[in-house]
Amino acid sequence: MVEDTQSSHAALVTAGTSGSWDWDIATDELRIDEAFAQLYALDPGQVGVALPTDTFFSRIHRDDRARMRIAVAGMVGGAELFSKEFRVHAADGSFRWMHGRGQTHLGANDDPVRFTGLLVDVTERKRAEERLRIAQSAGGIGTFEYVDGFATASVSEEFCRLLGLHPASVLPIRTINGLVCPGSAHIIPDAIDPTATQLLGEFEVTRNNDGERRWVARRGEVVRNDGPGYRFIGVIYDVTASKEAEARLRDLNDSLELRVKEEIAVRLRAEEALLQSQKMEAIGQLASGIAHDFNNLLTIITGNVETIGRRLDENVDPRIRRSLDNAMKGAERAAALTHRLLAFSRRQPLVARPTDMAALLVDMSDLITRSISETIAVHVHTQPDLWWCEIDQHQLENAVVNLAVNARDAMPDGGNLSIGARNVCLDARGGNGRSGEFVVITVADTGTGMSPETLSKVFDPFFTTKEVGKGTGLGLSMVYGFVTQSGGHVDIQSTLGEGTRIALHFPRMRSDQPHSSATHAAGGELGHGAETILVVEDDDDVRAHTVDLLRELGYRVLEAHDGDTALRLLGRPDQDVQLLLTDVVMPAMSGWELAEAARSELPQLKVLFTSGYPRDAILKNGQLEPGIDLLQKPFSFAALSERIRIQLDT
Amino acid sequence: MTADDIMLGELERDALTEIVNIGVGRAASNLRKMVGGQVLLSVPAIEIVSQPRAARLISEREEADLVAVRQDFSGAFSGRALLIFPETKSLELVRAVTHDELTVEEVLEMEHEALAETGNVILNSCLATMANMLKRSLSMTIPEVVRGNGASLFEVIDGAPEAGLVLFLYIDFSVRHRDIRGYIAMLMSLPSLAVLKELVGEFIERVVGEDG
Repeated sequence: MVEDTQSSHAALVTAGTSGSWDWDIATDELRIDEAFAQLYALDPGQVGVALPTDTFFSRIHRDDRARMRIAVAGMVGGAELFSKEFRVHAADGSFRWMHGRGQTHLGANDDPVRFTGLLVDVTERKRAEERLRIAQSAGGIGTFEYVDGFATASVSEEFCRLLGLHPASVLPIRTINGLVCPGSAHIIPDAIDPTATQLLGEFEVTRNNDGERRWVARRGEVVRNDGPGYRFIGVIYDVTASKEAEARLRDLNDSLELRVKEEIAVRLRAEEALLQSQKMEAIGQLASGIAHDFNNLLTIITGNVETIGRRLDENVDPRIRRSLDNAMKGAERAAALTHRLLAFSRRQPLVARPTDMAALLVDMSDLITRSISETIAVHVHTQPDLWWCEIDQHQLENAVVNLAVNARDAMPDGGNLSIGARNVCLDARGGNGRSGEFVVITVADTGTGMSPETLSKVFDPFFTTKEVGKGTGLGLSMVYGFVTQSGGHVDIQSTLGEGTRIALHFPRMRSDQPHSSATHAAGGELGHGAETILVVEDDDDVRAHTVDLLRELGYRVLEAHDGDTALRLLGRPDQDVQLLLTDVVMPAMSGWELAEAARSELPQLKVLFTSGYPRDAILKNGQLEPGIDLLQKPFSFAALSERIRIQLDT
Repeated sequence: MTADDIMLGELERDALTEIVNIGVGRAASNLRKMVGGQVLLSVPAIEIVSQPRAARLISEREEADLVAVRQDFSGAFSGRALLIFPETKSLELVRAVTHDELTVEEVLEMEHEALAETGNVILNSCLATMANMLKRSLSMTIPEVVRGNGASLFEVIDGAPEAGLVLFLYIDFSVRHRDIRGYIAMLMSLPSLAVLKELVGEFIERVVGEDG
């Protein structure tokens, strides 16, 4: 029996109906059908008989009961339609969600006399609704349903939330579409293509509550199979994040292209600068090669002119002496030219000399003023009693001119260029860890200045802000190299739009350092001697000339045309050679290698190099090693005799 | 009197909603008879809000100017009932209730009268039902047609000059195949709200009794 009851109830549930009632308002009686009785676990005998109306509420869930009493009171009081959902404690012990639908029947006086209705089991639907609600809030998806012909649409709470609207179940179409930004289509379209079934779209909206601009996507379907017109049912969800990500990605892509372009441009500039410097290097090598050979030739010419001059009678025709002097002047000019070639190719070794910095700057001011355009005011000022420094004067001049030219280029519209020199004592704190006494030469301009980024790179080789072909990008790096090579350091300050100030710090010359220039014979007496000198020179004419000069000075002279021969001669016990006079650049074995080998056998051996071009082979960090001296070709008879004497006497 | 004093409990809200529903149901069936078409009604939303908020709730939905039929009611509790349309819809309502038998000129001519009469039928049936359910009687003023925006329609109502808070009750309705939609709104001052709350409590007591 119980089984039967349950199975028939199940059948009714499947059919969608779980009972009906008939409530007589006038007599206050309730009549129920079989299904109702089964649902309420009432005896079948109760079906169709008058029951107390309170029976209606007997199995309703306690939490829903008050609500239902109110609703029924509304019906009894004259409301037209009853449509409520509530839980019923079913016969099988479970709670079922029921949807009660009912209506009142009016009597002759338009008074409600009966209230009839049906119960439908909607448990499954309620659960589905619950799942849908959770899906909506968890997924941030709002639903809508628009029925063709109405000016409103049914929406979910999440739908309202997405648009920043007050939660409601119905919204005017106008309200929904009014939030769409101008230019965007409508979320609920005014007209739908009669063949359309799916409607997708993305809309930019201005959220109502906070005015924020968001993107929502809409996916909807047009349903036409139930009656006239159509229903447009769909969802919206926020796609702002993915839109933004998309935009960011696009930006990144766009800027990537730009960044790559910039990077390529930088590389192209670097490549061009490298090419330029390689070109300069090649020209430098060519120039220095020429200078080397040229100096050999000049040595022969000037040497022989000198020799002739020395041997001329005092009462010789003065025209002959004048011709010789002219020849000598020409040769000296040629020597100056090769010197400039070498300077251009930056192959000069550093020849540090005690230098009166003030005097040097004053001497230079004329040159600087001339090389700077008239729109720029040049001030050169030096502190009185400026210390001396031991530096390569030529390189210092180059450095200062270099900086002055940079300053000029930074002031295309004119400005002030000031070059100054002063004594500075740095302690370890103030001088970036560099302490000591320095002469500081500053070159300051009021030009365009440099950004911190540029500033960080100015000493990099090949870095240039000038157009290709106008600078090698080696200027400041050479200055930097020269100053540090001289034991000093460089400070640079620059502000965009205000100017640049570069300070070169050179260490003060120690007072106990001999003014070595003073020890150089200041002309006059020629050094003579009887020592044995080995002359090594691959150029036969130069060697012959040199040997002649030395013999003339009274020395015993051996000669060799290359390093191997020289070493053999030095190795002979009967030859007591005191000084090795050797060319630097020779095939097979360089002068340096020869000197090394010779001094390892004969540590007391003095060495004097001669060279038209002392390449890197003779240089360690651009400075000459102690115990080694270099005589620049072309050398004069006087210079040769003096330097030979100095080497032998020290 | 503060907002807390008149905050409605869940059951009170249900009961009030039900009472309003009954009234609106009557109103809708009258409207249905008048326009001869299907009328869609939302579940009434009941909130106790400030008047500016009430104005915002309407203007959130309506940018255009509004037309309202306004009736003040007094009795055990007093307040103002409004039947609100976007201005552009009011003519459509007039056409609907006159079954499209009038020319445009005639519609324009009798717009005011037709609106006032329609509003009277709808608001009256609604309020009378509510009064009946609460076992009180209300008297109503002659309907007035007013135009304005949300803010001006919800201006301070008589008898509640300083209160600030109102019961805002609104129902969307729209009519199929007529571009008609609107709201029914009721505004009550705080003292009236307190009375209403009491009456709703009595109603619940009556209906639920000891069962609740």
